[in-house]
Amino acid sequence: MSKLKHIIDYISEKHPIHTRKLNKTLVQLDGVYHQRAEQFLTRYERLLIDEGRSLDYAIDCYLRFIADITAESVRFRETGEYTSKSFAEVNRRVYDNPEVMEYHLHALLLSQFLWRHHYQMFCFFTQELEKHQTDIKNYLEIGGGHGLQVAEAIKTLGPDSKFTVVDISRTSLDLARRLVADDRVNFILSDIFKYQPAGKFDFITMGEVLEHMEDPGALLKCVAGLLADDGRLFITTPTNAPTIDHIYLFRNADDIRKLIHESGFTITSEFCRYAEEVSAEIAEKLKITLHYGACLKKSKCQSQ
Amino acid sequence: MNQAEIIAQLQAIFDTVFLEPVVLTPAISARDVPEWDSLTHISLMVSVEKAFGVRFRVGEIESAKNIGEFADLILKRRQEP
Repeated sequence: MSKLKHIIDYISEKHPIHTRKLNKTLVQLDGVYHQRAEQFLTRYERLLIDEGRSLDYAIDCYLRFIADITAESVRFRETGEYTSKSFAEVNRRVYDNPEVMEYHLHALLLSQFLWRHHYQMFCFFTQELEKHQTDIKNYLEIGGGHGLQVAEAIKTLGPDSKFTVVDISRTSLDLARRLVADDRVNFILSDIFKYQPAGKFDFITMGEVLEHMEDPGALLKCVAGLLADDGRLFITTPTNAPTIDHIYLFRNADDIRKLIHESGFTITSEFCRYAEEVSAEIAEKLKITLHYGACLKKSKCQSQ
Repeated sequence: MNQAEIIAQLQAIFDTVFLEPVVLTPAISARDVPEWDSLTHISLMVSVEKAFGVRFRVGEIESAKNIGEFADLILKRRQEP
């Protein structure tokens, strides 16, 4: 039995409601997806087994995460706001809570292949990376999470490239270090606002970070200072995505674009996908999550 | 209220949330209702919380195996101060 089928069967047993969503969206993906998912899940299962765990442990983490999202979604539908209001609150609830961080990270890792919009965003990331690969000598990832993207960067970029991951969570760095298992990556435990590297970076990836900030504009301006003048910043962030660790609410893609421009960046390419299989009209009415990704460069007046 | 009364009130909510009619019994579960997916689930929970004046805890809705258990959960939450 394929790993993916095992996961779906396991989820179906425990959470038939959620399985309907997975079945509806995953059926539309092609053979390349299934091949990539299987390769990843085989490697991931090996890592889990080496640590005395199993794939079922990761699926249970995922189901716990889904329960959190369901509860937050009910509140969001009622109030139109996220429940977490400050970074200090989220730090207490999640980042500084290894047990919660652990299940979150494993859940997010699985979501890369269980959520069609996450998988498609991952494909967009790999395309952008390939597009700029010859120019990338110094790669930085901010809030590396589980490490899947930096692992892809290592595969794509040349052997002379340098890789750095900066994250505020030790649990996150530990998982990324285990998943990536490559000495070329410099893992740094730091608040990005306090990070002072020796040089600038050609490519910075910041996936799913902006929504965790009280002031995402301040973060973008800080990151602009770390990026080479002709470098690229790859970001992803969702709109209307209630989870226990999201603070800043983007209500639509234009909210994100406006922030990007105000922070001194120009969009060179972008990708958007709703998290549910509904029309744009329904998505807007029900405030369905839109997953937004973009590759950015510094606006001319910024890159002097 | 008892379980039967809760289920009768739930029936009215299900009638507004789902397009296809669902006849509720204590044994019926999400597996028996094809339209019951993540999206309708949120609408259902919002309506149920509002109608019964309760607030569910994380994960407990998912742990109810059928409508009977769900009704018992509502009863339990209603009895809380």
